[in-house]
Amino acid sequence: MAECSPMRESFPLLLTESLDAQSRELTHQHIESCAECAEEWQGMKDAWRMMAELPELEPPARIRQRFLAEIGVAEKPSNVVPFHRRPAVKWLSQAAAVVVLAGGSYLVGHRSRPVTLAPNNATLTSIQSAAIQPAAFSIAETRTVNASNINPNIEGRPDIQNVQFIDTNPHDDQIALSFDVTQHVTVTGEKNDKSMVRLMSYVMENEDRMSPSRSRAIDWVKQTYSDPSNTDPEIAQSLAKVLRNDTHEGVRIKAVETLKTMPNATGDTRDALIAALKNDPNPAVRIKAVDALARLAASGELDSAAVDTLRQKAMQDDENVYVRTKAAEALGKIRP
Amino acid sequence: MNHLSDQELMRIVQGGDLSPASEIYDRYSGRIYNFAFRFLKNSEAAEDAVQEVFVKMIRHANQFHGDAKLSTWLFSITANWCRDYLRKADNKSKETEEVLISLPAPLEHGPDRTLEQRENEVRVQKALKALTPEQREAILLSRYQGLSYAEIAQIAGCSEGAVKTRVFRAMETLKKELTADTRGGDRWLNAVR
Repeated sequence: MAECSPMRESFPLLLTESLDAQSRELTHQHIESCAECAEEWQGMKDAWRMMAELPELEPPARIRQRFLAEIGVAEKPSNVVPFHRRPAVKWLSQAAAVVVLAGGSYLVGHRSRPVTLAPNNATLTSIQSAAIQPAAFSIAETRTVNASNINPNIEGRPDIQNVQFIDTNPHDDQIALSFDVTQHVTVTGEKNDKSMVRLMSYVMENEDRMSPSRSRAIDWVKQTYSDPSNTDPEIAQSLAKVLRNDTHEGVRIKAVETLKTMPNATGDTRDALIAALKNDPNPAVRIKAVDALARLAASGELDSAAVDTLRQKAMQDDENVYVRTKAAEALGKIRP
Repeated sequence: MNHLSDQELMRIVQGGDLSPASEIYDRYSGRIYNFAFRFLKNSEAAEDAVQEVFVKMIRHANQFHGDAKLSTWLFSITANWCRDYLRKADNKSKETEEVLISLPAPLEHGPDRTLEQRENEVRVQKALKALTPEQREAILLSRYQGLSYAEIAQIAGCSEGAVKTRVFRAMETLKKELTADTRGGDRWLNAVR
């Protein structure tokens, strides 16, 4: 019927109850009189109902933290300069600096007044220490510097964070100002240089949880170290740690995909893949782990423990049906 | 602040006081995240979308006019961000991760969530993937966000008629995808047991 087409275009509006009363009545009358449109309407209702199966996801809390940090809004206003626990080893682009201002040559005149310096307002820029000449550059550095070795002319706008004011003994003139100062560092070297490999491992394992660059780091590692001539067990071990510990399923998936491309799998790699298949909460990661284990099996580097895990997964009633299917497929491809 | 309307909160932000930011975030981040995740089919990108949408809301607060709904304005920013994301060639390959990443673990939604429900969820995800970005945007805003065609037209930058067509075409595709017999997986599994 000629009227079918405009009637059917109104079906979604009927589903959302957005049609006016007259149009609604007309559309229902048409559905009752046209078998084809009645079938179309039933199918659309079924599809609409099935769409409700998508669960509402909670956005991860880290997005809120990132957002509020970026616009400079604190969750709980405080007059205290926040102290953030320092990681055991700092990230590559941050060189920690501790400056001890001794002798009161610079700040002694301010001792009797409250210290009000806020980290974001710091205008210090380039702190030059003529006395410190390290023989080799160290990525993770904690320095204690005497104020007499600091050039009092501070230029530019260095990014200073985690400021602390320390007065361990109020009865003497010694105070200390402690802070992290960010430097931008570029390290160059051969792909297999041990320092380069460890830096790469460090980036994957320790990059700030709130930064999206972890997955980019893994992409880069995959591109660089999948070549058999560049492979390094430390990289594989780091990826295994990422697979075990990272909170983001997208990053864990990339870790599995990259491990899959690494030639000469280590026992640690295999154990991490088996653990992911057994325990990872996300079925997508488990499916990727099945793929990776199947690939290892094809290259003759799989032992009975991995095959047993695949078999258990294929038979596990409460496992995701796609994980079970993948595991069964993988088993079918493994030659006894 | 939770007693204030969206418009009142935005007026405070426009005055330079950012303290309502967390309240606005709490009201809309869930909807924005779910829309972006279902649109982009990539959880990392959805996170970036939420972050950047709310930062943009703050930075460009003066572009918000009280006569519009805040939700419509936020979805406009989100949809623009998502379209830009998909336009970038290097992001296209990431789309394939979506269905896998979003598969729920068996117990994530409680033991009462049946295998059939989880299968249906995957089927809906795959069906949405079969839509064009324009159709997906329209149906996500209509079905899951409850927006009117007029609001969707404002967000998508098209006419209400175009929205009507997009939603209808989307529903036709979804009907075809969702009502077909796709239970071959179960049969296959039973066969290998």
